[in-house]
Amino acid sequence: MTGESAKQVVFKIQRYNPEQGSVLHFQEFTITASRGMTVLDGLIYIKENLDSTLAFRSSCRMGICGACGVMVNNYPHLACHTQIEEFNADTLTVKSLPNLPIIKDLVVDLTPMFDNHNAIKPYIIRRDTQEMKDPTAEFAQTPQELNDFLQFAYCVKCGICISACPTSASDRLFLGPQAIAQSYRYCADNRDEGQQERSSLVDCDHGIWRCHLAGSCSEACPKGLDPALAIQLLKRRLASQALGIGRKQQPSTVVPPPTEIKEKVPYPEFTVKKKKEK
Amino acid sequence: MRTTHFHLLHMLTGVLIAVLLGTHMVILHFDTILGFFGANVTEPTSWQSMIDRASQGIWAGLYIVLLAVALYHALYGLRAIIVEVTSSLKTERIITWAFIIIGIIVFIWGTYVPVALLSS
Repeated sequence: MTGESAKQVVFKIQRYNPEQGSVLHFQEFTITASRGMTVLDGLIYIKENLDSTLAFRSSCRMGICGACGVMVNNYPHLACHTQIEEFNADTLTVKSLPNLPIIKDLVVDLTPMFDNHNAIKPYIIRRDTQEMKDPTAEFAQTPQELNDFLQFAYCVKCGICISACPTSASDRLFLGPQAIAQSYRYCADNRDEGQQERSSLVDCDHGIWRCHLAGSCSEACPKGLDPALAIQLLKRRLASQALGIGRKQQPSTVVPPPTEIKEKVPYPEFTVKKKKEK
Repeated sequence: MRTTHFHLLHMLTGVLIAVLLGTHMVILHFDTILGFFGANVTEPTSWQSMIDRASQGIWAGLYIVLLAVALYHALYGLRAIIVEVTSSLKTERIITWAFIIIGIIVFIWGTYVPVALLSS
């Protein structure tokens, strides 16, 4: 951690351990942050060198697993996806994600989010149960049909959208932007026929219509998704369904397997090591 | 009926309020402008004018519809705000029934005068 651009940064970290009956407080750690160092690197450095009791969650360190969601300077970020340099500040305040119960320090309980995610049936539902049980081939899907929901399939379930959502803050029973956006992701999938089933779960007092379209979820999403758009598109689907108007989505058909299989293009000669002739 | 139906009705009543309340405001307060366009409106805010309007079927109907849509819009909106900060399903049911009863009572109370004038 040396170099020309290294500078001293104070990490003001939220500490809370309910098992020891402690109250929520902040503890300061000073580290030397070099260029390219992420907030997660800083937390790992503190845990390894300054205080091993610090609790935070992390796994992949490359913005894929969604485990390291924290509030940095009062804005939700993935710690592994956020460089210390971005803030251009001498002090970083690191807190746990709001709107979710705290387990310890920066670790929040994501169970309510996963419960809601499971409730909206996040999988392909079809009426042809025989094909689902014993598949004979793939379901047809054009690139355009894939584009209808592709961005919402990139959700890493980090809970940042929920922590940014003002409705989740006031309504503890609200399904949350993550679950509703995922509901749209599956309803918009042309291989799926489960909109009717999901609409009964989403179309409730603490469901989709509680969204005020603040747009904070889309603003905060570290993967660049637009959950607010998914919620609006799902509202349109439900309204069309209620009024009996609009185009009905035809479920995709099964694509018969190709009768002829093309041979693989052979490797170019220069890439293949030739055996030395004796 | 699911929440979508109630919410769509909430939006529809919002539009209807704009139209019906707009008509009411124009008739009551823009009499000079209406006179400019040839409409004969004399002292629209006087007691007698109000009684005369309420005695006519079209005006009585307009006011009854306005009362109904305004009540639905206001009470459903208020219920949505309260339900959002309520985490008990039992409390929600009590609030819902309380608003339904309040709505019915206020509607009957509000329609009494135009109905009485129409039937007299």
